[in-house]
Amino acid sequence: MNYTFTLRTIYPYLGELWQAAAVTLWLSSLAIVLSIALGAGIAVLRRSRLRLLRVLGAVYVEIMRNTPLLVILYVVYFAAPAIGIRLSSFVAALLGLTLNSAGYMAEILRAGLIAVAPGQFEAAQSQGMTGWQVFRHVVFPQVFRTIYAPLGNQVIAVILASSLASAVAVEDVASWMQTVGSTSFRFFETFVIAAIVYLVLCQTVNIARLLIGRWLFRQGATR
Amino acid sequence: MSEILALDGVVKRFGARTILDGISMKVSAGEIVCFVGPSGTGKSTLLRCVNGLEPIQGGSISFEGAPVLAQTASIRAVRRRVGMIFQHFNLYPHLTALENVMLAPVVVHGEARAAVEARARGLFDTVRLSHRINAYPAQMSGGEQQRVAIARALCTNPHLLMFDEPTSALDPETVGDVLGVMRDLAREGRTMLVVTHEIRFAAEVGTRMVFMDQGRIVEEGDPRQMVASASTERARQFLGAINH
Repeated sequence: MNYTFTLRTIYPYLGELWQAAAVTLWLSSLAIVLSIALGAGIAVLRRSRLRLLRVLGAVYVEIMRNTPLLVILYVVYFAAPAIGIRLSSFVAALLGLTLNSAGYMAEILRAGLIAVAPGQFEAAQSQGMTGWQVFRHVVFPQVFRTIYAPLGNQVIAVILASSLASAVAVEDVASWMQTVGSTSFRFFETFVIAAIVYLVLCQTVNIARLLIGRWLFRQGATR
Repeated sequence: MSEILALDGVVKRFGARTILDGISMKVSAGEIVCFVGPSGTGKSTLLRCVNGLEPIQGGSISFEGAPVLAQTASIRAVRRRVGMIFQHFNLYPHLTALENVMLAPVVVHGEARAAVEARARGLFDTVRLSHRINAYPAQMSGGEQQRVAIARALCTNPHLLMFDEPTSALDPETVGDVLGVMRDLAREGRTMLVVTHEIRFAAEVGTRMVFMDQGRIVEEGDPRQMVASASTERARQFLGAINH
């Protein structure tokens, strides 16, 4: 087979690529922030004293972790209008990504909470701290340290998963790849370029995470 | 001497198991009460009930004239005046020794940082750890951590100090350092409740010994006298066994 790799045909489409990359970044960032918030709520449910709430939290986590994101996106985008909820591509993708990622975030946060020794709560309570003070000054800093690395993994997982948003017509990097590929017939080139964009995005996040982590936890403060 | 703590028929159950089976006692300011007895007889649980870490199922506890009610907002007022030292130190691992000591005075008591820091530095002298002020708990030995924990408890100016087996998790070499600090505190006339297996320390420093078995107070009295010749068979047996 004779295939000549050339970027010349792709050149005119690079302007749209930047826009697409911005969409990917914006969509992923929002989904990450929102899924941390939702995941925190679910992690708290799973530690509730009430069995019903614990079960509810567990059911949510298991549904989200055991169904393909693509299916969730389709449900949100195509099935929801049937019950009168009509969402734009972007909002549908954001909602689907958030719901899915929250399942994983909940488990990461729950693990972080479990890792705080019971004696820490007792020591803080015995000093007369309120629930909020215990959380703010004793529990959260320790949870944050524990979840820092897995949280980074999840951030990257969301960025990569956001490529499925192209299936519900969000004009992100993956969508650019398909559109430009089919109009220019240079599929191989567009695939490679898309891969590089995702790689650069994720590695930037990864390196930033490492550097920030090194700075945050600079003293010999490991447990 | 004024009474600061009173327990009246305190009952604590975990499910069907009764841990404390009607404990009544009074503690006056300046007393050093040492609780001894076999493991699992409720000594630690008793301390934990006093600052509401465990709710009680019967009887009543009052601290400085006000009832101790676990799981209510009022318990925090009691805890602000009671310092607790745990068997496993429970220092905050993400904070330095100094930050551990300063946290509650600043956050809970709302004191100015500068004043707290000055007092905290003084306390590090008291527990003989001035050179470890910026170390993290993970960088310190058990004995050092426990002395930081004592400084942490002292920094809130508590009216009562409770020690829950403070030397049980330490290697023999560092036990002496911690007991030394506790001896100093006793000399200052602080009110202390100490759950311990260090009978010799209890006899030397305590003003009262309470021997507990199976959730009840079996015998209490002068520590030296009890160690020499306890009046109940059970206490004699126990004190004899761990003295030799």
